[in-house]
Amino acid sequence: MMHRGLSKRNWGIAAAVLAFLLLLPLFLPRFYVYQISLILVYGLLATSLNIVLGYGGVFQFHHCVFYGMGGYATALFLTKTGLPFVVSFAAGGVFAAILSFLMGLITIRLSKLYFGMLQISLGSLVWAIIYRWYSFTGGDDGIHGIELPDLVSSPRGSYYFTLAVTLLCLFVIYKILKSPFGSVLQGIRDNPVRSGMVGINVKRHILAALIIAGFFGGVAGSLFVVVDRTVFPDMLFWTLSLEVLVMCLIGGWFKFFGPMLGAAIVIALRTFVSGFTVYWALVYGIVMIFVIFFLPDGVLGFFEEKIKPAKGRAIADKG
Amino acid sequence: MLFLQKVLSQVLVGLSRTTILFIVSSGMSLILGVLRIPNVAHGSLYMIGAFMAFSVSHFFGGGSQGFWMALLLAPVGVAILSLVAERALFQHLYKREHLMLLLLTFALSLIFGDLTKLVWGGEYKSVPVPQVFHGFVNVIGGFPIPLYNLFLLAVGPVVAVLLWLFVNKTKMGKIARAAAVDREMVSAVGINVSVVFAAVFVIGCLLAGLGGVLVAPTVSVTLGMDHTLIMETFLIVIMGGLGNIWGALIGALIFGLSQSLGIMIWPQFGIIFPYLAVVIVLMIKPTGLLKSTW
Amino acid sequence: MLKIEGLSKSFDGFMAVSNVSLDVKKGEIVAVIGPNGAGKSTLFNLISGVLKPDSGRIIFKGENIAGLPSHAICKKGLSRSFQIVNVFERMTVFENVQISIMAREKMNWNFFTPSSRVLIEETMQILASVGLTEKKDSVCGLLSHGDRKVLEIAVALGGNPEFLILDEPTAGMAPEETGRCIDLIKGLCDRFGLTILFCEHDMELVFAIASRIMVMTRGATLIQGSCDEVRGNQAVQDVYLGGSEVC
Repeated sequence: MMHRGLSKRNWGIAAAVLAFLLLLPLFLPRFYVYQISLILVYGLLATSLNIVLGYGGVFQFHHCVFYGMGGYATALFLTKTGLPFVVSFAAGGVFAAILSFLMGLITIRLSKLYFGMLQISLGSLVWAIIYRWYSFTGGDDGIHGIELPDLVSSPRGSYYFTLAVTLLCLFVIYKILKSPFGSVLQGIRDNPVRSGMVGINVKRHILAALIIAGFFGGVAGSLFVVVDRTVFPDMLFWTLSLEVLVMCLIGGWFKFFGPMLGAAIVIALRTFVSGFTVYWALVYGIVMIFVIFFLPDGVLGFFEEKIKPAKGRAIADKG
Repeated sequence: MLFLQKVLSQVLVGLSRTTILFIVSSGMSLILGVLRIPNVAHGSLYMIGAFMAFSVSHFFGGGSQGFWMALLLAPVGVAILSLVAERALFQHLYKREHLMLLLLTFALSLIFGDLTKLVWGGEYKSVPVPQVFHGFVNVIGGFPIPLYNLFLLAVGPVVAVLLWLFVNKTKMGKIARAAAVDREMVSAVGINVSVVFAAVFVIGCLLAGLGGVLVAPTVSVTLGMDHTLIMETFLIVIMGGLGNIWGALIGALIFGLSQSLGIMIWPQFGIIFPYLAVVIVLMIKPTGLLKSTW
Repeated sequence: MLKIEGLSKSFDGFMAVSNVSLDVKKGEIVAVIGPNGAGKSTLFNLISGVLKPDSGRIIFKGENIAGLPSHAICKKGLSRSFQIVNVFERMTVFENVQISIMAREKMNWNFFTPSSRVLIEETMQILASVGLTEKKDSVCGLLSHGDRKVLEIAVALGGNPEFLILDEPTAGMAPEETGRCIDLIKGLCDRFGLTILFCEHDMELVFAIASRIMVMTRGATLIQGSCDEVRGNQAVQDVYLGGSEVC
C-alpha cells in the first residue's frame, strides 16, 4: 500500500517513451508525426472518457459531444474573435465543462444503459444544432483552414504543443484519480449503493467527475484544432463516441494508460492496414473480436497479468 | 385548408417511415429486452436485408415477382447470418459485462459493413416498387399517397400482432419473457435457455432484415444507410420500454411523427425534434413509457 | 436512541413491512428475528434510507429521518452492513475501509493529495480492531467469505457510527468464524459503546449477544421483549421456533 509509486521498471518505460516522443519529429516524416499527434489527441480523449467509464462506472455513451464542443469553441473563438490564442484554446475545455455540467444535471437521474441513452439523445441534439446552423458553425462543412499563431502553426510546433498539453493533462488526471476524490469515485463504480451508505452523495460526486471528464474531452477537441486546423460535425457524431469507447475497452478500461494504448492501437492499425486494403474495418473488427475473447481486461490488463505472477513469486521468496 | 393538407401528407409520410422504424425497433427491443445485448450490428443487418432484397429481386427479373421473392427470402438470409453469429460468438459472452457485448456488436457491424462493400460494392442500388403498388390513391382532402406507403402502413400492424402472439401465446415466448427477468431460475427448472436465446436473437435479426427489405423500394440502397437508423432504433426502444412491443410501436410513432412534422414546421432545425422528444419522454418516465422487462 | 413508529412499506400491493414499531436504547444490542420473508431486510433498508417508507416515522436521536437519502442518514451516525456482502469488489481491504473514512471526513472533494498518504493510521486502527490487518492489501473480491463478512462490518465502522445495523452478520459463515464474529460484535458494543441492531437466523448467536429481541412475521411485529420473554412466548414458538425451523 505504501509503495504505490512507479517501480523502477515502469520509470524506465516512461523515460524511454518520453524520449522517443520528444525526438520523434527529428527523424520521422511529417505524415507519421501527424499520426502520432492524432494518437495523443485521441488518447487524451479516451483517457478523459475513462475517468467516468473505467473509474466511475458511468455509461458515458456520447463522450465526443464534449470533444466536439471543445473543438468548435476554440475554432469559433479563433475565427470570430480577436482574443489571444491562449484564451481561445482555454475556451474549449471551459465550454465543454459547462456543457457537461448542464447535460449531467439532466442525465444524472438515470443510471447505466438509460443514462447512456439519454446522453445520446442530448448529444445528438447538440450535434443536430451544429450540423444545421450554417451561419454560425458552418453546418455540415465545418470550419477549415483555421489560422493559428506562429508558435503552433508549423508541424513541429503543433506536435510539441500537443505533446506538452497531453502530458500535462495526463498528469493532472492521474493525480485526480489517485486522490481521495478518485478513490471515492472508484468506490462508487464498484458499489453505488454502499457508497451512499457510507455517507457519499453519489450523484453530486458523479456529476463532478462528469464535468472533469467533459473538460479534458474539450481540451482534446481544442488540440485537434491545433493539429488539423479544422472542425466538422462528425467530431460529435455518435459513431466516434463508440470508437473512443472501444479504445478504452481494447486498451484496458481499469488501467490508467489503457485508453492511451487503445488509441495508439486503433490509429496505428487504421494507418497501416488502410495502406494496403480498403477493407481495414474488417481487419479492425476481427482484431476486436480477438481482444474480446482472449484479452478480457484489454491489452494492457493482459500484459500486467502476465507480469504479476513473477512479482508474486518474488514476494513469496522473501517471505 | 392547404395547411391542413400539408400536415396530413406529412403525417402519412411520417407514418410509413414509422412502420419501418417500428419493425426494426421491435426486433431490437426483443434482443435488448431478453438477451440484454445492445446490438449495434442490428443496423447492419437491416442494411444487408436491403442489399439482399436487391440481389433477390434482380435474380428474379426485377419485377413484381422479384419483390415478393425478396420479401420472402432476404429476411431468411439475414436470419441465417445472425444464427451463425449467435452460435459462433454471442452465446459465449452472455455472462460478460454489457460493454463487452456492445463491443462485440460494434466489431460485427464493422465486419458486416465491409462484407457488404465486398459483395455488393459501393454504388447505389435500387429495388423497383412492384407493379401492384404503382400509382397513387387520393385520400382525404384529395392528396395523393403512393400505394406502396399504404402497403407499409398495413404491414406494421400485422408484424406487431404476430410478434405479440409469439411473445405472449407461444411457449417459447413465455420462456423468453421469464428468462428476461431471471435467467438462472429458468435454466434451473431444466429449460435449455441457450436455444431460446438463439431463437429470440434470430427472430429479432429477422425483423431487422424485414425492415431492410421493406425500405428498399423507397430509398436508394447504399452503404452507411445503417448509421442513423441504428441510433434512432436504440432511442425508440429505450423510449418505449425495453422488451415491450407496444412500447416500440409508440416510440416509433413519436419518433417518426416528430421527425416529419418537425421538418415541416422548421426546415432548418427539424432534425432536432425527435431527439427533443426522447429527452422529454425520458425526463418524465426514466425507464420508458411502457413496462420494461428489466 | 432509535424509535420507529407505525412504519409501513408495500411493493405492488404486497405489504412487506406493515405498521412496525421498535424502540432501541443507547448501548443496547437488539436482535430482529423472524422467518424468511418476514420483512427484516426491508425494515433495515427503510431505516438506512435505501428505500423510502410509505408511512410511519423513524426517530433517530430525536429527529425524524424517514425518507432521507442514505448518505444523509449515514452522516447522522447510523451505519449498516449488508446480508449479501456489499463492498467495493475491485479495491483492496485497506481501500475499502479508507473510502468509508474519507466519506465521513468529507475528504471526497480533495483532488490533489494522493490517497495513499491520507487516513492511514485510522484505517489501520479499524482493520486491527476487526482483525484484518494482515490482509490489508488483498483485493476484496479474492477474500474468503468469512473475511468478507468481517470487512462488511469494518466498512460500516469507517463512518464512526453511534448506531450500527448488521444484516445477518454471520450468514454463510463456518462455525469457527461465527465464534469470531460474536466476539467482534460484543467487543464493538463494550469497547466502543456502539448501539447495535441486527438480524440473524442463528438462534444461538441471537441469544448469546442480544439484550432484547423483536420477532417479526409477515411484515408485522409479533412481540418485542427480553430473551426469556421471547423464548417463553407461545406465538413465537408457533411461527418460528417450534414449527418450521429455518437454518
